Amino acid sequence: MITLGNYLALSGIIFSIGLVGVMVSRNVLKVLLSLELLLAASNLSFVAFSKFNGDYAGQLIVFFVILVAAAEVAIGLAIIVVMYRRLSTIQADELRTMKW
Amino acid sequence: MSLFFFYLFAAILIFASLVVVLARNPLYNVLALVVAIFSLSCLFVLLEAFFVGIVLLLVYAGAVLVFFLFVVMCLNLNAIALDQAQQTRFRLLGSMMGLMFAASFGLAAKSFIKAQTMEASNIRGTIEIIGKILFTDYLLPFELTSLLLLIAIFGIVSLAQGALSTGKDTENS
Repeated sequence: MITLGNYLALSGIIFSIGLVGVMVSRNVLKVLLSLELLLAASNLSFVAFSKFNGDYAGQLIVFFVILVAAAEVAIGLAIIVVMYRRLSTIQADELRTMKW
Repeated sequence: MSLFFFYLFAAILIFASLVVVLARNPLYNVLALVVAIFSLSCLFVLLEAFFVGIVLLLVYAGAVLVFFLFVVMCLNLNAIALDQAQQTRFRLLGSMMGLMFAASFGLAAKSFIKAQTMEASNIRGTIEIIGKILFTDYLLPFELTSLLLLIAIFGIVSLAQGALSTGKDTENS
């Protein structure tokens, strides 16, 4: 029998892995990929709660999250392309124009 | 039977997300995320959220990750990323914080007693039901997302144009 706790624990593990990726990577592309993992983990817990509470609202929220994430990824990748053209690197440490 | 599939897809999901974070080659990161999204979609089907599962597969694995792959290959980032000897920073601190977060999430999931005893309801997120709710109760948010996508398109076009006009004098190709 799979309980809600199993899904929540799995979601927490995936969220932690994604969080480590966001904190540790210097590559901007990798930060964006780890952000996708964070969104995937929260989507999983939304759908699990939806199933165990008997409410469709969770699944609809996941649908909207997917839509917004698609827009976010498109903008983020456009910014990465612009950054690569200007600085010819995608290391986050190179973005230091606004550093004091 | 469903328990076996749950643990199978959970193991694939965890392994693929570890590869996303740990692999050095950006190409492997993106392809591992495709695997992770696929197994997540299988978990959604296990939870009987069919519509969301197929949308996740179509939008993420079909569009978003192909876009990622396109950018990785277009910019030829492999050589650049592999050239950087030290690719990560705060590795120890980050991993410790990640373990801390994992432990706290695990404790939270364990102490949430209701989660262990709650019965799964028999709702099925088929296209028919989700579509009905989407076009009645959630019609306004649904229309507003189209506006959001339109704004995203404007943003991307203006970013790309700016890059083209300013990148011409610095770039030969």
